[in-house]
Amino acid sequence: MVRIPLLAAAGAALAALLAPGSSVAQDKPPLTVGAIYVGSVNDYGYNRSMKDGLEEMKRNIPGLKLIEAENLPETAESERVMEGMIQQGAKLIFATSFGHQQFAFNLAKTHPDVYFEHAGGWMQAPNFGNFFGATQAAWFPMGVAAGKMTKSNTLGFVVGLPIGYAIGNVNAFEMGARSVNPQAQTRVVVTGGWADKAKEAAAATALIDQGADVVTMHVDSPATIVQNAEGRGIRSIGFQSIAARQLAPKGWLTGLGFTWGPFMTETANSVIAGTFKPAMVRQGLGQGMMAIAPFGEAVPDEVRALVTAAADRVGKGFNPFTGPLVDNTGVERIKGGESWGGDKMGNFDWYVEGVIGKAK
Amino acid sequence: MSGALVLGVVASAVMSGTSLLYATLGEIVGERAGIVNLGLEGIMLIGAATGFAVTALTGQPYVGLAAAATAGTAVNLIFAYLVVGRRANQLASGLTLMFFGLGLSALEGRPFVGALIAGLPKVRLPGLGPAGLGGGFMNDDILVYLAVPTALLIWWLLFRTTWGLRLRAVGESPSAAVAAGLDPARLQYQALGLAGLFGGIAGAHLTLALTLTWAEGMTAGRGFIAIALVIFAKWNPLWAIAGALLFGGAESLQLQLQAAGADVSPFVMNMIPYLLTLLVLILWGWNRQSAAPAALGRSFVGVE
Repeated sequence: MVRIPLLAAAGAALAALLAPGSSVAQDKPPLTVGAIYVGSVNDYGYNRSMKDGLEEMKRNIPGLKLIEAENLPETAESERVMEGMIQQGAKLIFATSFGHQQFAFNLAKTHPDVYFEHAGGWMQAPNFGNFFGATQAAWFPMGVAAGKMTKSNTLGFVVGLPIGYAIGNVNAFEMGARSVNPQAQTRVVVTGGWADKAKEAAAATALIDQGADVVTMHVDSPATIVQNAEGRGIRSIGFQSIAARQLAPKGWLTGLGFTWGPFMTETANSVIAGTFKPAMVRQGLGQGMMAIAPFGEAVPDEVRALVTAAADRVGKGFNPFTGPLVDNTGVERIKGGESWGGDKMGNFDWYVEGVIGKAK
Repeated sequence: MSGALVLGVVASAVMSGTSLLYATLGEIVGERAGIVNLGLEGIMLIGAATGFAVTALTGQPYVGLAAAATAGTAVNLIFAYLVVGRRANQLASGLTLMFFGLGLSALEGRPFVGALIAGLPKVRLPGLGPAGLGGGFMNDDILVYLAVPTALLIWWLLFRTTWGLRLRAVGESPSAAVAAGLDPARLQYQALGLAGLFGGIAGAHLTLALTLTWAEGMTAGRGFIAIALVIFAKWNPLWAIAGALLFGGAESLQLQLQAAGADVSPFVMNMIPYLLTLLVLILWGWNRQSAAPAALGRSFVGVE
């Protein structure tokens, strides 16, 4: 007599499994998002930060489908890959590297129903927007950390390409260092590319040989320089992604990272709701896209307090590029009472006093 | 120039010149046998990726080094089959090899990007530091120490052994070699195998010693610089030492000068190594008497 309920239960279970519309069927994703990276997401740097932001967006929007392609050079190849993603149903594409702009823009013209967000550019269309962190002022607190922790008063900065934005980063860094240590100087070495690892290793070595005891960088991945510094017992400050901290357990001071997640989530939601508005979004510290990495063990509490206070100032609108500012050859570049805002950050072709190097 | 600057440049030149020297030596052996290998960049990349991948997997940098050398040899033997066995055009095959190496190394290395490896251990050797400067110690990995002895070995191999004589004969005139009873194909295979070995080691030094990371295409043209250095060295391994040091030195010099605050545009500074190479090649070109092996680049189709 017990068998019949068992048989009935088994039959019911079987029927449920085989019935159409059961749990085997998938719900349609609310949105398919495509993303292209110029390098590998395992770089502890820029691409990692983009990947982290996209993963956060995916977590925040249940069911969202993400298609990704890594190691895409900044050529027409990227256009073909993005086209492929659109064919797979992507309605929002994140072109995460600067050089992908034109190719993404081309596709925006031919696919008016697909939305594009490009990192770092300026082109605009009804379905094309740009976003980036306002990095320059955010380097000021990094300089504060370096200025306080240096003993040799020599700081080292490795720059990939001396574009205005990178030079602005160096300037803010030096100004932050000088604000707590008037003797601090920053030496700059340009490697000539955003990701030439052998040159980065040699550049870090050169800076350390010249007396730098804190090194930092503006290249795609901080990994090589941070590892190199750690190997020689030198302190480091990271950039692009806060993941690089693991590479320097002893020497890590702090770092600047990008937190793209909230912006990406907001953008994806606006596409789902049909309220996408193209804009050139630049967010600095305290506005959502940038964050300061956890401090290393070597950093004492009083320095942490100083850095955090400087970061708060920046978050509340402090602009270090306020005149009078003199460059490292003695020429006045920003007059008293003037200041250079976000739109001028690409115009830097001079280093502030205290930076040892030639900008162009 | 301060003593610190000179010391820094020399140390850095030795480090970055080492991989160049191995690559140049390998290419010299191949070219002495009459084969131009434009795919040296690809071989170096395969060596770099394989060395890094195997080191990341096993935790043993020497095993990684051996794997890199093996991989370089294997891939160069494929090239050898193309140009010797099938008599394909050497320049085209070489470039194909470069692209192949670029792609294969990227595929190989992808799972290992971001991996942390220990790298080749550094060995302290007393009494060999740059004369008069510093503590009289050199602290580098064994590939750096073995670079110059390897160049001497290759010189001895090419110019003081029967095998080397036969190899050079093939590179000068394969038909004469056949008349003398030699098998050009076999010798060329052997030469290219050896060239692949050194190319793989050259690439491995970049990932296992210089940078301790892997990134796609990270040789950044060093393979082609090595090919130019072969011409600079007039196909002689001893001159290759000077060439590798010169180029490695130029690269580190410009970075050290930047760090020291030279009042020169960074763009110009970055050009220095390449300008130097161009200058050297132009100057060497004035010498009409060509030191190149006479049959370099030509496919030998056999005698009737």
